[in-house]
Amino acid sequence: MAKAPKLNSQPQVVTANHLLSGDVVYLTKAASWSRRIADAAVVANVEAGAALLAEAETQAKKNIVIAPYLIPVDASVTPPKPIQYREVLRAEGPSTEKARPAA
Amino acid sequence: MYEYDDIDQTLVDERVAQFRDQVARRLSGEISEDEFKPLRLQNGLYLQLHAYMLRIAIPYGTLSSRQLRGLAQIGCTYDRGWGHFTTRQNLQYNWIKLEETADALADLAKIQMHAIQTSGNCIRNTTTDQFAGAAHDEIEDPRVWCEIIRQWSTFHPEFSFLPRKFKIAVTGSPNDRAAVRVHDIGLRMHKNAAGEIGFEVIVGGGLGRTPFIGKTIRDFLPKQDLLSYLEAILRVYNQFGRRDNLYKARIKILVHEIGIEAMREKVEAEFAASKDGALKLPQDAIDQIAAQFAPPAFEKLSGISAEYANAFRTDFEFGLWARRNTFKHKQPGYSIVTISLKKEGAPPGDASAEQMNAVADIADRYSFGEIRVTHEQNLVLAHVKQSDLPAVFKALKAYDLATPNVGLASDIIACPGLDYCALANARSIPIAQQIALRFKNWERAHDIGELKIKISGCINACGHHHVGHIGILGVDKAGEEFYQITLGGAADEQAAIGDLIGPALNTRDAVDAIDTLVETYLRLRNSSDERFLDTYRRVGLAPFKEAVYAVA
Repeated sequence: MAKAPKLNSQPQVVTANHLLSGDVVYLTKAASWSRRIADAAVVANVEAGAALLAEAETQAKKNIVIAPYLIPVDASVTPPKPIQYREVLRAEGPSTEKARPAA
Repeated sequence: MYEYDDIDQTLVDERVAQFRDQVARRLSGEISEDEFKPLRLQNGLYLQLHAYMLRIAIPYGTLSSRQLRGLAQIGCTYDRGWGHFTTRQNLQYNWIKLEETADALADLAKIQMHAIQTSGNCIRNTTTDQFAGAAHDEIEDPRVWCEIIRQWSTFHPEFSFLPRKFKIAVTGSPNDRAAVRVHDIGLRMHKNAAGEIGFEVIVGGGLGRTPFIGKTIRDFLPKQDLLSYLEAILRVYNQFGRRDNLYKARIKILVHEIGIEAMREKVEAEFAASKDGALKLPQDAIDQIAAQFAPPAFEKLSGISAEYANAFRTDFEFGLWARRNTFKHKQPGYSIVTISLKKEGAPPGDASAEQMNAVADIADRYSFGEIRVTHEQNLVLAHVKQSDLPAVFKALKAYDLATPNVGLASDIIACPGLDYCALANARSIPIAQQIALRFKNWERAHDIGELKIKISGCINACGHHHVGHIGILGVDKAGEEFYQITLGGAADEQAAIGDLIGPALNTRDAVDAIDTLVETYLRLRNSSDERFLDTYRRVGLAPFKEAVYAVA
């Protein structure tokens, strides 16, 4: 697995996997979870990132999500786009599925 | 085929009930994710990038048509209507929900299947030659021994928490189609000077971060001693294998560090102390299991069937397919058919539920209702009458399952890669698709001949890149996908680890490089009978390296 970059004061969001479904989810401003990165709460500095992650970890303890973590995003576009390709794939789904007809 | 007895069925049913309870306790918060993770992994349930992934064991790669239909149904009910056949002869579902997993496992148990031994530091599902019980070059059906190993290894209390996972492969043929030299233990059946059949035992092979070709620890092991000897190896490994470093915990590192002689000494001492104990296999027990793998009721046939000969002569497409996708059967008048799951441009190893059902139907009609899974991510109909080959070809073609490319450049092994896998550094499937499309032209592909391209999306080497004639390893370079190329690997009886050709290339250049390598081979080969691998072994790395990196 590629190493997560060290986050400084840059746009970032919290992501995790939903415990029941395993789906990729993002923490929203309302402290709930959404499958769409467009709904993610974007913060832009280390302190706000830490606070967002703390909230997510509380929810992990309540058995809603698994292993939340912060990822850097490009917030100049809508929806925000993850910087790492691994996270782009998590946000958009496998690049191979797009070419595949639904069964 | 082996049918479950009451013990097998009870064991699998109880396991489903236990898992259902474990999930309930996880969801209620009674157990944490840290406590739950090893439990779900012991039931084949991984958390991947986008969802949970359930890995189903297909013991020694043999399936009945009923089981394959069951897998198709489970794929429709709990996944998106697909299954992915892996390099471990297993099947993976990529879109499983935790809340439905116990139901999926219960459905599996109804068709005598499970996800046990597909994860965790235990003895994993034993793999073998996909042509077992059918190949003309076979000494004995290795599945009998795989089943004996299964019964011994499942939930073996002493070996459920080994230093790392442990993989055993068996071949009953001198032509190794099961890659036994790159497994923790490889077993090769052969005859000794007295004409008795037994095992050459190979230990310490493996791919991953530190690839090794296994070393022979014993030239000849009598059959009845198989379990005693395996237990002796496992016991030595369990005691001396490293637990301090995840990357040095496989038996290959132990064998490498202490040397094969010291390893042999320890194993033989352990074996001497236990060889005539409870694990000595009584002949009647062996016979009982062997009876379940008795050959099907073959017809007595002689000569070449007129239908087959006629189709071969008159139907060009059929001829192309028959040349590449059939293999010589031990029974006169029969052939083994490999069903390619490698249509150029499709993800290697994927099959839709519709395709699985079609294969099950074709197997019922033409191959005694039996299907095999290959470690090269294809399927096999082991016993097809040659006179039925034209009909089988037609039936497969209707479901896009008759690509005539077995063993050719587009018959690529690829792991799921970064598209699905949480461990991967780069994607594997898209590069496999792009390369396969370069070799779509049948004339060129058949002229190139046998060429095994194997692709892994990370150093763990699920795609067996080290033993590809051309191996491709995906790496992450500052956030961009790059690919390292190795040449000259082989997984067969002349197993070899490939040589790194040079610096990693970006996706486009890597795909172009494969073309360049093939063109270089075509230029250098002595004749069309000289395979890519033979040419490489003759001329070495230099001309290939030069061709790839010469372009400024």
